[in-house]
Amino acid sequence: MSYKIPMGPYHPALEEPYKLDLICEGETVADAKLHIGFNFRGIEHLAETRNYIQVIALMERVCGICSNIHTLTLCQALEKLTGLTPPPRAQYIRVVMAELERLHSHVLWAGIAAKLMGFKTMFMTCFELREKVMDVLQAISGNRVNYSMNRIGGVNRDIEDPLALLGMIDALEREMVRTIIPIFTTSRTARSRCAGIGVLTREKAVSCGVVGPVARASGVGQDLRRAAPYAAYAEMDFEVPVQSDGDVRARLLVRALEIMESCKILRQSLTKMPSGELHSGDGKFNFITGTAFSRVEAPRGEVMYSVSWKEHSRNPSRVHVRTPTFANMPAIRYMVLGARLADTPLIQASIDPCYSCTDR
Amino acid sequence: MTTVLESIPETLGATQPWVENGGVFWLNYPNLNVREVARAMNALQARFVTITAYQLPKDEGLRLEYHWDLDGLLLGFSFQLAGNSIESIYDLSEAVDWIEREVHEGFAVDFIGREYEPLLLRQGDKLGMNMREEVK
Repeated sequence: MSYKIPMGPYHPALEEPYKLDLICEGETVADAKLHIGFNFRGIEHLAETRNYIQVIALMERVCGICSNIHTLTLCQALEKLTGLTPPPRAQYIRVVMAELERLHSHVLWAGIAAKLMGFKTMFMTCFELREKVMDVLQAISGNRVNYSMNRIGGVNRDIEDPLALLGMIDALEREMVRTIIPIFTTSRTARSRCAGIGVLTREKAVSCGVVGPVARASGVGQDLRRAAPYAAYAEMDFEVPVQSDGDVRARLLVRALEIMESCKILRQSLTKMPSGELHSGDGKFNFITGTAFSRVEAPRGEVMYSVSWKEHSRNPSRVHVRTPTFANMPAIRYMVLGARLADTPLIQASIDPCYSCTDR
Repeated sequence: MTTVLESIPETLGATQPWVENGGVFWLNYPNLNVREVARAMNALQARFVTITAYQLPKDEGLRLEYHWDLDGLLLGFSFQLAGNSIESIYDLSEAVDWIEREVHEGFAVDFIGREYEPLLLRQGDKLGMNMREEVK
């Protein structure tokens, strides 16, 4: 006999509201349906009422974790419509901010995953590490959530002493190598909760069009930093971690290895940062009529913006945002098939979902 | 990659070449069929990215832009809608499920050949919630 277990929209296992209707046979999940839109904000529609300064501040609020990525993607699209090219130092600062954001997002996720596994100590360790990354972001931008770093044609603030940040990178990498990666990879509890759980096969990953670490954990090795480089990523030397098992453990490993690669990119961008201007255009530019597209590799995967503008108009005529969670969430349905009911909170968390982005 | 890209217009029977604009490679051919495009993209193992809907001025209707990623290249296919409908490609690419549902709810587009479950709409909400109303 099958029965329905509703999880959400408000549930201790979910940080933000969405609903998973689980059809169970005994303790085994036989089917699942997802429901979103509980906090839908209509930001795309709202963007059409904002000018070129206001729209950057608005889109920074699409996501509460990777706010910088949204302004970066938007500004890159707007730069195509204004003909502005950010100077090299601004491109490097954009890389630093994007990688710091990836670090804090991945460490935050590791903490939440640890908590869902019942590893409270690990949760505290991860959040202590994340706090250090947040301190750096605050030192650079003056803010902890919405950094206001990107502008059309460059960045708003400088990193005055890039080499001073290297100590933090070393400490973070040391803690990852010494504590977090060994526990996640060798602990019996972590293995039993993650290995072989919530599998998304490569075929399903391709057909569902999943992106980011979820795709890379299922053997699909795309990373826009490598496939379609933006900012200063073409000048960075880094690996794209790929795992083939497609389970929760593979997603965990991909993110852990990506933290190491982020440290590598940060070290390069901080030591090689060129001197020069922070932005081009002196605040004077004109929009041409047209639509421009921009994509970046956010912590959760590809973000895409398409922005349409009419010459002499104050506001964009259309802004469309495709967030990574919007692409990844439908795949949860396949991940939970055949899983134990008790594993579903961890499985849904393993895509690192951002409902704020999804309900944009 | 260039050879693969050049083979697509021929597969789809398009006479014009790709045009690069705004970071996207566009195939501007008025007789493109959305399902043939999806089949061609699937054959090349391209990844579906999104559909962007545009409400055109006055009563010119809607335009849908389909985006696919081919090894880091963003490809674009534009379709001007006759009426408010277009064939669904959900049976060819399940990645389009949510965005077809979102465009259906936001712009009242009917994707022919599929069934819908509510995605963002709640009880009492109307289709076309993202459409601009003409100021009178």
